[in-house]
Amino acid sequence: MPQEQVFYFFIVLAVVIATVFVAVGWSTRQAREVHSGPAYKLRKFFFVGLSVIFLGLLAVTLPRTPYSAEISSPDRIVHVVGKQFAFALSESPISTEKEWEEGTYAAPVEVPAGTSVEFRVTSLDVNHSFGLYSPGHHLIAQTQAMPGYVNRLRVRLEEPGRYTVLCLEMCGMDHHKMRAVMDVK
Amino acid sequence: MEISNNPRPNDVQPTALRRMTFIWMFTMLTLFPVLLVLGFFMRALQANFMSKLQPEWFYAVLTLHGLGMVGIWYVGSMAGVSYLLGRYVRPSLAISKVAFGATLLGVVLLLACTLIGRMGVGWYFLYPLPLHSKGVWPPWATGAFLGSLAVFGVGWTLWSLDLLRAIAQRYSFSAAMAWHYLKGRSEPEVPPLVLIVTVSMVSALAGFVAAVVVLVLYVAEWLGTGFTNDALLMKNLTFFFGHVLVNITMYLGVAMVYELLPAYAQRPWKTNKVMALAWNTVLFLVMFAYLHHLYMDFAQPHWLQYLGQIASYMISVPAAVVSIFGALVLVYGSRMRWNMVSLLLCFGVMGWAIGGVAAVIDSTVAVNVRFHNTLWVPAHFHTYYLMGVVLMILGFASYLGEERGQLAERMGLTKLTVSLIVVGGYGFLLMFYYGGAHSVPRRYASYPQEVAQGAAYARLALVFISALLLGVLLYLWDTGRRCWRSFSVSS
Repeated sequence: MPQEQVFYFFIVLAVVIATVFVAVGWSTRQAREVHSGPAYKLRKFFFVGLSVIFLGLLAVTLPRTPYSAEISSPDRIVHVVGKQFAFALSESPISTEKEWEEGTYAAPVEVPAGTSVEFRVTSLDVNHSFGLYSPGHHLIAQTQAMPGYVNRLRVRLEEPGRYTVLCLEMCGMDHHKMRAVMDVK
Repeated sequence: MEISNNPRPNDVQPTALRRMTFIWMFTMLTLFPVLLVLGFFMRALQANFMSKLQPEWFYAVLTLHGLGMVGIWYVGSMAGVSYLLGRYVRPSLAISKVAFGATLLGVVLLLACTLIGRMGVGWYFLYPLPLHSKGVWPPWATGAFLGSLAVFGVGWTLWSLDLLRAIAQRYSFSAAMAWHYLKGRSEPEVPPLVLIVTVSMVSALAGFVAAVVVLVLYVAEWLGTGFTNDALLMKNLTFFFGHVLVNITMYLGVAMVYELLPAYAQRPWKTNKVMALAWNTVLFLVMFAYLHHLYMDFAQPHWLQYLGQIASYMISVPAAVVSIFGALVLVYGSRMRWNMVSLLLCFGVMGWAIGGVAAVIDSTVAVNVRFHNTLWVPAHFHTYYLMGVVLMILGFASYLGEERGQLAERMGLTKLTVSLIVVGGYGFLLMFYYGGAHSVPRRYASYPQEVAQGAAYARLALVFISALLLGVLLYLWDTGRRCWRSFSVSS
């Protein structure tokens, strides 16, 4: 799971930072002169090193945004509409509150494994967020459901099973209960 | 005690300024443990304790906790830098009192709309949620909420303007921004405190303008004129204002570190060309870093999303290279006088560094798609807030208590206090980080079965929050009695 890798990467960096701080604090047990020359050199090295790392990370990560057209023509289109406190998912457009209500009671949308899906996500009232959880309950993609706008999220659903949609934007007293499901066979 | 850039033979500020600063600190430090207990309460709900309580209480308390914490540390940092600025310039006491009155009124309105009105919209009151209560909060609560923000805004804008006015009486704008250092000149000497406060107040005013626009647009719709706002525009304005306010609080905390730490390390820490360049760069980049809050709004123009990541990465370079590295060089091998003040300041810088790393990770669009609005977000901002700027401001409050040195510090108690705060604080944060890495959403009153493990993390967090709370109470008792003695002497 990528999230765990990021977590352990962060923990390593945090431990390194804490170690540096403790070592610097420890160095005060024996006072010494610090010459500005070597300190400035180290700062320059730190600046150049950090800048190079950041530029490298930008070059690697910016092409991997969820907006890039990795999936140029999706196999299926699923319309998603949020409203306090449920999501309606349908392969037909949902534009009225009645259609939304019907959508919340409809049978789950079903697609074959390996299908690329474009979710067209919007809201009829406040901001919600369409958080797509895999059958293993890991967050795999998300986009905001915003009134007046349609956000298009493209995902390839490889793993068969039941996917859960949770609302990830605070939207009122039953925000934590706002959900939907879809199936990948 | 010798201070860098020593402008006056006597570092102790005039009595009236000291008294006003004590009043600010007393108010802030009284509200702090209360808001901390509210944080404990929310984690207890998420741990499935008190499961019979209606969920709207969670969201109301979340709103009070979030806005309350952001507010008290903002005014705490403002009060701190106002006091320290008194070494160089003369901020107005009257304006500080106006800001205090506005803050108290705003707090009363906020308490009313959340604890009586049960208004649960989060610190960021994302449009149009305040106007869609679903019958939970009455219309008067929305009015009181918008009123409290307006009152805070007026008081704090005046305060920001006054600090700029005070600085302008001694330094021209270009001097206060240290532009002459960029040209290789170091006269007139500008203390880092003045430079950072100038940068912060200019940013603050930009943020407050955005806040005013948001409030006006809200009121226009709330009055039922038929006018409807644009959700994406409102989101941009809200996050611009919110992000700038939180960043400024951090920078003001760092300004206090620049001003206070040299005296403990017994080394100078002066403005130079690199520092001037760094803080001017910050002023530019802070205008765009907020864009990372909108990565998951795919309707936002994509070039703004890329700009958000670039600005978020680049803003950390001057911070890390100049301020954090500078603090480490200042302390390294120095004749450091370790006590409550210096320990809290140094741990504060460390928290800023660690929280900054987590923030940079989350500001990567490709990562954010799996972390946005999970517990990773409160994890990173609590790191640079609770373990960063809060410790810096607590360090400043301790400094007030020892400024006249009436009561000797008990180092055993200091070590115990700081240990409890650091261990409790980082343990509490670890549960947030771990929850975020396991896709547990933030701002949930209780967890559904898919992320039920969130309740277990919340239970563990309660243990650490208890240790943190104990540490904070010890700090308040010890610092409180020392401040009281110092205050009595100065009155």
